[in-house]
Amino acid sequence: MNSQRLRLLFFFACLLLLPAHEALAELVVVVNARSGVAVMTRNEIINIFFGRYRQFFNGVEAQPVDLVDSHADRARFYSALVGKDLSDVNAYWSRQVFSGRMQPPPRVANPDEVMKWVSAHPGGIGFVDLAKADARVRVVYEFKP
Amino acid sequence: MTRQRADILLRQAAGSFFAIAILLVQLLIAPQVAANEESAFSLHGFGTLGVARTTGNQAEFVRDLSQPRGATNHWDARVDSVLGLQANWQLTPQLEAVIQATSRYRYDRTFTPEISWAFLKYDPNPQLSLRAGRLGTEFFMLADSRLVGYSYLPVRPPGDFFWYLPFYAIDGADLAVTVPVGEDVLRGKVYYGVSDANIPLADKQWKIDGSAMAGGYLDYQAGAWLFRLSYANIRFSHEMPIDDVLAAYLPPAQAAQASQYLTTANTRSHYYSLGAIYDSGPWLFQLMLNKIKQGSNIFQSSEGGYVLAGYRIAQVTPYLGYSWIHSDSRGNTLNPVVASIMADSHADQNTTILGARWDFAHNMAIKAQWDAIRGEPASIFPYRQERAAWTGKTDVFSVTMDFVF
Repeated sequence: MNSQRLRLLFFFACLLLLPAHEALAELVVVVNARSGVAVMTRNEIINIFFGRYRQFFNGVEAQPVDLVDSHADRARFYSALVGKDLSDVNAYWSRQVFSGRMQPPPRVANPDEVMKWVSAHPGGIGFVDLAKADARVRVVYEFKP
Repeated sequence: MTRQRADILLRQAAGSFFAIAILLVQLLIAPQVAANEESAFSLHGFGTLGVARTTGNQAEFVRDLSQPRGATNHWDARVDSVLGLQANWQLTPQLEAVIQATSRYRYDRTFTPEISWAFLKYDPNPQLSLRAGRLGTEFFMLADSRLVGYSYLPVRPPGDFFWYLPFYAIDGADLAVTVPVGEDVLRGKVYYGVSDANIPLADKQWKIDGSAMAGGYLDYQAGAWLFRLSYANIRFSHEMPIDDVLAAYLPPAQAAQASQYLTTANTRSHYYSLGAIYDSGPWLFQLMLNKIKQGSNIFQSSEGGYVLAGYRIAQVTPYLGYSWIHSDSRGNTLNPVVASIMADSHADQNTTILGARWDFAHNMAIKAQWDAIRGEPASIFPYRQERAAWTGKTDVFSVTMDFVF
């Protein structure tokens, strides 16, 4: 194998690893502080954000909120949660919407609005940087590096 | 097909697309005012611009039974091109109204837009969902999003699995129940309604509107795995328009007997299927199996299935698939005329699928696919205009651009 090929291979290897690196930043999943939910598993979070089952274990209806595609945290979140590219996530939702099954979570423009949504809805659940999470919400899941 | 005819069809297609585009603009402008006070209205759309061709002209390749003509060895835009628009109104947190219109090449050889869905959805709690109106049918897994190219990996749902399914909607109701099982989710659905479809035959149409359809399925979602068991049936309400063919080739007594023997009205077809999907990180894997029991002697019962695997590398997802369909010829054929009519529903072939999806821009994808169809010369069921020289083997090349907005 010549060196040019090796370099190409290295380049592609980097491309593959890129999303994993991005996921290292400290994104956390937060819920409304009064929801009675203290901790969640990854699968429970997937079930809520993908609309498979939108209820917390204690019977409170989950009200997830998402970010717009143009905010970088959205790609980070889905990459960390399910290892999926945003186009996969959008393809999933186009199937749900156009088959008439369900609507995706509402989308807001930035993490401040995520915090506002989560604290304003009893079953609110969203994702923000750990530094953003304040007393209005409770951190129920951290993406481990 | 002559160039002139192709031109007319293209113009019809362009006309319909244009009409929908105008409708879209009107809808976008009008509710914008309302949307400021009430964000409960949303309008979205999907579409595919695609061309397909085969390597021969002994038979025309169609996407499913609802298409009267198909592709041969010239690039053809009719097989895969579609445009859809959908409006959703959230009337209350529990109640939603949905209406969807689509334009695609259909049974009457036009792109006339149709109302594909128009229903009310009522979700009193996270466990229950009720819908009533015109609904998408999931006779087989993923069957209710067959037209939304952006939502799946290959160019089109594998034909060997879906050809027998020209039904897209029912006028009726469905009920879905979702139950958590630890971290897994169990979901069951039942539906009942009547079809409003037409199936094109050589120069006529077989009306299946008014045919009662009922069915249900069970889904089990465990992490990245989704399993599905489903059953459905349809009771056809109309006879196939074959009496004049029978009368032309058979003496009256035999024609009457043949007509009786090939009756479709009040016969029932049963659809069973089993599916498994694994969807995790860059990997996608699907396995689907079906078994169709046909009540009428004019159709052959069949078994089919497909496997599909894809792996995403950055924005490109190459995929590989294999599908098959085999139908059982019936023993008793009465006479050669009846035998030739019954042979029309014979399918015995497999298809190797190789392609790639490229998510080149936000909410847009380009796909290129090669279908290597290898079948018996007698396998003519899913094709149109097949000739005596048909070998049962052909290759289909397709390029599509899918989008959602």
